[in-house]
Amino acid sequence: MLLRLEKLINHFSDVLGKLAALLFVLMLFNVFIDVVMRYVFNDVSIGMQELEWHLFAAMFMLAVPYTLRTGGHVRVDLIYERLGLRRKALIDLLGCLLLLLPFSLLVGWYGVGFALEAWELGETSGDPGGLSQRWIIKAVIPLTFFAIALSGIGMMLKSINILRGHHQECDYQPPQH
Amino acid sequence: MIGIVMFFVALAILLIGFPVAFTFGGVALAFGVWAEGPDMFAFMPFRIQSIMENVVLMAVPLFIFMGIVLQKTRLAEQLLESMGKLFGGVRGGLAISTVLVGALLAASTGVVGASVVAMGLISLPVMLKYNYDKSLACGTICASGTLGQIIPPSIILIILGDVLGIPVGDLFQAAVGPGLMLIGIYVVYILVYTWLKPEAAPALPLDEDISHKRQQYLRALKAIVPPLALILIVLGSIFAGIATPTESSALGGVGALVLAAAYRQFSWKMVYESALETVKVTAMVFAILLGATAFSMAFTYTGGDYIVEEVLSDLPGGATGFLILSMVAILVLGFFIDFVEISFIIVPILAPAAEALGIAPVWFAILIAMNLQTSFLTPPFGFSLFYLKGVAPPQVRTVDIYRGVMPFILMQVAVVVSILLFPSFYGLS
Amino acid sequence: LVAVANPLQAAEKVYRLKMAETWPSNFPIFGDAPRNMAAMADKMSNGRLKITIDSKNKHKAPFGIFDMVRSGQYDLGHSASYYWKGKVPNTLFFTTMPFGMTAPEQYGWFYHGGGMELMNKVYDKYNLLSFPGGNTGNQMGGWFQKEVKSLDDLQGLKMRIPGFAGEVLAKLGAKPTNIPAGELYTALERRTIDALEWVGPSLDLRMGFHKIAPYYYTGWHEPATELQFLVNKRTWKKLPEDLQEVLRVAMRTAAYDMYIQSYHASGENLAKILTEYPDIQVKSFPADVVQAMREANQSLLAEKAAADPLAGEILKSQAAYLKQARLWTDISDKAYLNSLSTAK
Ligand code: NA
Ligand code: NA
Repeated sequence: MLLRLEKLINHFSDVLGKLAALLFVLMLFNVFIDVVMRYVFNDVSIGMQELEWHLFAAMFMLAVPYTLRTGGHVRVDLIYERLGLRRKALIDLLGCLLLLLPFSLLVGWYGVGFALEAWELGETSGDPGGLSQRWIIKAVIPLTFFAIALSGIGMMLKSINILRGHHQECDYQPPQH
Repeated sequence: MIGIVMFFVALAILLIGFPVAFTFGGVALAFGVWAEGPDMFAFMPFRIQSIMENVVLMAVPLFIFMGIVLQKTRLAEQLLESMGKLFGGVRGGLAISTVLVGALLAASTGVVGASVVAMGLISLPVMLKYNYDKSLACGTICASGTLGQIIPPSIILIILGDVLGIPVGDLFQAAVGPGLMLIGIYVVYILVYTWLKPEAAPALPLDEDISHKRQQYLRALKAIVPPLALILIVLGSIFAGIATPTESSALGGVGALVLAAAYRQFSWKMVYESALETVKVTAMVFAILLGATAFSMAFTYTGGDYIVEEVLSDLPGGATGFLILSMVAILVLGFFIDFVEISFIIVPILAPAAEALGIAPVWFAILIAMNLQTSFLTPPFGFSLFYLKGVAPPQVRTVDIYRGVMPFILMQVAVVVSILLFPSFYGLS
Repeated sequence: LVAVANPLQAAEKVYRLKMAETWPSNFPIFGDAPRNMAAMADKMSNGRLKITIDSKNKHKAPFGIFDMVRSGQYDLGHSASYYWKGKVPNTLFFTTMPFGMTAPEQYGWFYHGGGMELMNKVYDKYNLLSFPGGNTGNQMGGWFQKEVKSLDDLQGLKMRIPGFAGEVLAKLGAKPTNIPAGELYTALERRTIDALEWVGPSLDLRMGFHKIAPYYYTGWHEPATELQFLVNKRTWKKLPEDLQEVLRVAMRTAAYDMYIQSYHASGENLAKILTEYPDIQVKSFPADVVQAMREANQSLLAEKAAADPLAGEILKSQAAYLKQARLWTDISDKAYLNSLSTAK
């Protein structure tokens, strides 16, 4: 049961990662096209320029829970790397419970009000030809932080499953690049 | 007081090994809520938004992507290996090449996260493959990646220009000399170190099928030209007015794809895989920024800024005494808080005193910028160290990185001292 | 409040308010206004009204002042009304308008021509009070790499000029372009963009644009940029009446002080720029360009007035006031200066 729940949560984080990768490619070409349009065709679109940072912001935010799932967040491993699997699992379990979850839930909670305000005001860009619907990019903040919390719960389940003897050692290899 | 206690608690928890980003965030939450109540965190969405809207930071994922594509297509490896071979029997050729490539990247971005991570991706695997000493490799990468901070364009110089009211162009110009000095010193250090300790950086084996020296060089040059041209196009696009520094990194990303296609290695699968890795590394960098902004929020809103202000507002001594003390203060603070906080909180406190003492503002700014560059390298909170660790293979341990940057920190301090003592040598007096 | 029960005790009570400003710490002139205001309020209230100021580097939300004061995270704010245009479109009109009033005319409108009432009609819904917060005086039209000789030169002109003024130029074929502030210098130097506008000599000097662009155009789009003090309405109501008056007077005085300080700094810095860089050419746009910009401005304003009745009411009030005040400006300051220049 816990194993299946862990898999389900991991799956959700992976989807966010894929979405972020797509947003990145769009951002890369967005910036490239803007440069070409300006230099070669002497044309500038404020909307396209704003889209750059919208894609950028959504990309790095949504990738945070994914990176948590894949173990990509950097640790100071002076002590950690010498510990056995069960101790590592214990550190992750407690760290999620005491540090990650309260932080992400509280920021997520305040993020909801932040995005709602933009929605109620019908906030748009202040620049001519800029993007409307500011609430969408603002809503990425609560979405991200709740997803981090969820991903953190996945990490806790993984730790619990390890403590119950379900996982293999190789799960704790840091990612390769 | 709370700020200082918070710092040591964060340090202790970091050592246990929970991810850095969420350790910062969680500790900030505990102390912030305890001292001021949960409503302090209503500021967080605003702070996050200011990171989201900071388009200059777009250079981070774009450079990471360029690095990953160059790495996946093995073009980066060929570049560094060939440069290394050009050094012939001289040891440390790879490390020196790393410094030079790092300096070129530094000239096209002002964001340290971008160049450290890109250099980590490009050159760490190569140096490890040729049995370089891990500490030397890590130190070289962190230091040359951090050059982005002083070699223009540079975010810190832009911020200091803003805070001190100096045209940013003046600062960019003034920073070139000290930047070149750093590069020179790094190269000399690598030469001396590898001469004393040959096993730390073996010279690259020459290709056995070609005996003639000239042909060796020709082959090496052939491998160097394409990726080097890419980096020079990125730089050139800024100078030709085609792109802003941030946009130039997108030209680098697209250019890397074009190179891949030229070498028949392009596929959409490769693009997708590179993008997926890019977002993972990018998220690692930005999660640290998100955690750090919570940390500095808790630090300042619990009165930390006032403590710092009190300590610094009456530094004793004449011009030289003031300069030395303020440099030491900034260096020490660099262990605790990040450079943006220092420039905005500390520098405005010091500036009036510096002005009253008749210290040339550009000189003062360059001293501070060099000093703040060092703060990226100083353990435990040096961001360059985290960034490199985030992309390093597992056999590289935190302690290797810490040990590796020590000599580079000393060299930076030496250069700061030389600027302090001989400003006229750098044209700063 | 306690004031009713025990006047003596109430007189002793110290009110501590927190203010957030859009500017970074030590930002000259703009940042002096709120500090000046806080110091006056402290003194005039005999220490009963204490205001602390957090700069952009502390709160990190230069354009979040509206929200933060509205929600009560801060009691007061110092910013500029036109920054909230994306949230509440009608806030646009209370900073400055292209081809609009000069600073004395606009102060006349605020305090005697119904401007304050209209401004608070806009802000009232959002739990906010807004007060004039200091004027930069006439802002310059910007730094240009090439001379603007005719309307054709505006075609495809890549210029950093945000907000409504950018909209006006876009109508004439220019290309308003977003460039982050830190990259503006490089972008103008390398001609990634052709022109940019910042403020005027008072603040342009420290940006160093005079070193890289030869033409400095006189203003049209921000004849009287008025900053703003924002007050959370709940905070205002909690203050005893005498402290409300202290705060009101301190804000009004600080605003006026900033106008004078800007005037002084502009003169001082312009002289510095022109002595250090005598080749800088100060120019005004040719008459047909100005005419076309005016027409574009008029048609955009007509659109705004048609779209929203309150916008229409504000624009009508401004136009009427300008017409009356300009009569006097023309035969006072303008005629005086003209007579001097023709007399030689
Ligand atoms: Na740089
Ligand atoms: Na302006």
